Amino acid sequence: MFPDMLTQELGMLSQKLQQLQTESATGQRVRQPEDDPGAVQQVLNMQSESSKLQQYQSNISVLQGTATAAGSAVSALQEIATRLSDIATSAGGTVSQQDLDAYATEVSQLISEAVSTANTQYNGNYLFGGTLSSHAPFVATTDPNGQITSVAYQGNTSTTSAEIAQGVTLSIVSPGANPSGTGPAGLITDTRTGADFFAHMISLRDHLLSGDVQSITNADLPALQADEQNQILYSTNINVAQGRLSTASTAAQTQQSSLTQLISNDADADLAQTITSLSQAQYAYQAALQSGAAIMKQSLLDYM
Amino acid sequence: MSLGLFGTMSMATRALQVQQQAIEITGQNMSNMTNPAYARQRVIVATSPTIPTTIGVEGTGAEAVAIQQIRDSLLDHQITLETSTTSYLGTAQTTLQNLEANLGQVVDTSSSSTTSSASAVGLGTYISNLFNAFQTLSTDPTSLANRQALTLDASSLATEFNQLSSGVSNLQDSINSGLQSDVTNANQLLNDIADLNNSISVTELTTHSTANDLRDQRQAKIEELSKLANVSTATQPDGSLTLSIGGVTMVSGNQVSDTLEVHANSAGQDLVQAKTAGTTLTTGGSIQARIDVRDGELKSLADDLNTLASTLITTVNAVHKTGYSLSGTTNAPFFDGTDASTIGVNSALLDDPSLIQASGTKGAAGDNQVALALAQLADTPQSALNNMTFNQSYSQTVANMGQALANTNDQVNNQQAIQNMLTQQRQSVSGVSIDEEVSNLSVFQRAYEANARMISIIDELLTTLVGLGTGVP
Repeated sequence: MFPDMLTQELGMLSQKLQQLQTESATGQRVRQPEDDPGAVQQVLNMQSESSKLQQYQSNISVLQGTATAAGSAVSALQEIATRLSDIATSAGGTVSQQDLDAYATEVSQLISEAVSTANTQYNGNYLFGGTLSSHAPFVATTDPNGQITSVAYQGNTSTTSAEIAQGVTLSIVSPGANPSGTGPAGLITDTRTGADFFAHMISLRDHLLSGDVQSITNADLPALQADEQNQILYSTNINVAQGRLSTASTAAQTQQSSLTQLISNDADADLAQTITSLSQAQYAYQAALQSGAAIMKQSLLDYM
Repeated sequence: MSLGLFGTMSMATRALQVQQQAIEITGQNMSNMTNPAYARQRVIVATSPTIPTTIGVEGTGAEAVAIQQIRDSLLDHQITLETSTTSYLGTAQTTLQNLEANLGQVVDTSSSSTTSSASAVGLGTYISNLFNAFQTLSTDPTSLANRQALTLDASSLATEFNQLSSGVSNLQDSINSGLQSDVTNANQLLNDIADLNNSISVTELTTHSTANDLRDQRQAKIEELSKLANVSTATQPDGSLTLSIGGVTMVSGNQVSDTLEVHANSAGQDLVQAKTAGTTLTTGGSIQARIDVRDGELKSLADDLNTLASTLITTVNAVHKTGYSLSGTTNAPFFDGTDASTIGVNSALLDDPSLIQASGTKGAAGDNQVALALAQLADTPQSALNNMTFNQSYSQTVANMGQALANTNDQVNNQQAIQNMLTQQRQSVSGVSIDEEVSNLSVFQRAYEANARMISIIDELLTTLVGLGTGVP
């Protein structure tokens, strides 16, 4: 009878010991669903939230790459636009046809450079073609002398956006051209701002070659200034987007930290408490073993 | 008229026999000290009939009249009932633990990295990985690397569903085979009890005493049976026991009047019925535990997984079909299959990830509308899932199962305390105490010595008597 009781009690004590041992080894109070079903449910939900936040940060980092690439391309175009304005201004002064021809050659080169910049790729996708990102958005037509006579836009005016937070999407890059009058801003061409960069550049070059300084001053120069304004607007949009990305990234990181803390509150063991309980349980087990052994040894037979 | 010397001699001889028998019973008790089914016995000693003498009635010594078993039938009855309950809860606990192990969901706070499929723990992580892969695809839909990663994550998810589903199905099979073996054991025990009934009534009839050891064996068999099913017993005047399970008489006298049988109902579930009577029984004990867990928590887990899988398949496919692939194809499904056991990724997409339909506009490879819509499904409450998202529904399923097991654990602990208490009570009544037996032994030993001394005194007296007048001292 006593041995049975002893066995039961030892069994209970050793079970408790094992439980505390597992807790201290894993550092977790809750491990399996049976330990605390409510806590497990919350932790699983929080872990899935945390995973989403991680993904948003990953999305943001891809978008930041795109924004940086687009920003560099737009800067390069802005430099070209500035140079063209200078040329147009200089051409308005007293210059010879020879000088004008020299300017025309430079403008030709700048046109080619601009077309190439407008066809920038990032990660294998053309940046400024809208959603038709698999082929070059700007195609130049050249005459038999190799001079570019027109540049056509083969992209569309759609944009893509990606999630940077739950339910919040952001699009980074607007299309290369938007002649429709509504929708996202166009980089090269936008009827709302009067920008039509390539057409204006070609017009400047043609006027330089023909010596039509009047048109250069009255038409080309203001046109190119409109282009510059448009590019500034476009560049500002990109900066604003980058700012939003940065804010969203910080917010996601902060949220993730709080979630990690909440998960820890629910699931982790108070190590000091666990180890104290473990010591106590070990003492109790030892005491039970020793006293049990002493009692079991005694019987009447010893005294007869 | 008195006993006389010869009468006294025979009285002392009979006394020796009584003490000897008492020692034998003590020996029997000590031999069976470790036998848990044994109830200690003792000899009932009474005075033998008196004879009239001139000065009054004189006793003629002692005789052993019966060997009595110290047993409390009320305790036995209570223990039989509680054994059923303990066994029910124990079997339910083990089965639910198997179910929990099958689901394989543990909370692991050390791995906070949730980027991809590397260290996934549980179905919820696979679901998160799928939707994260859709997100990554939406940031660059033309990237073949993104598409391949998506097919990989989707395949892992489908495989996890398949494995969980087959694990649950295997567990169901093993529960059914456990059920069958329980029923076979129960029927064997019914036979044994009927045999014991027979032996007991024959023995008690022929020897006019109680068949203590046979009764001990029968009680042990009944408790064995009560682990499998709830039994109710009624003792009969001839010493046999009528036993019924679920209201149907199974053993009557030495006949097994009905047996248990596993029988599938119209829904294909295995239930237990009385073979001859044909009625389905609610039996209690481990048999009932297997049935209850199988048709309760296991079924509800299997149903939840299937609903989760089928909702995922239908919602993802509905969105995916509207999209366009890199080559402009459309209307292809993303997932094949209909439930957790059959879910799989469309093999055409596995072979050629460029066929994943991420774009919302034909011919526009950079368009990500469908990929974005697929990604946003992660946050969409689904009406088929009680207006929870996929991850929330899975967490709920896990919590439900965990709660069932946690409740059972508590009940097992409580029940174990009750069972232990009753067992200890029975041990204190019927169990053999070595101290008591040893002290009895020395008492019987001294009594034997005293009576032997008596015999030698009487022998001396007789020698004196017989030697009277012969001159031999």
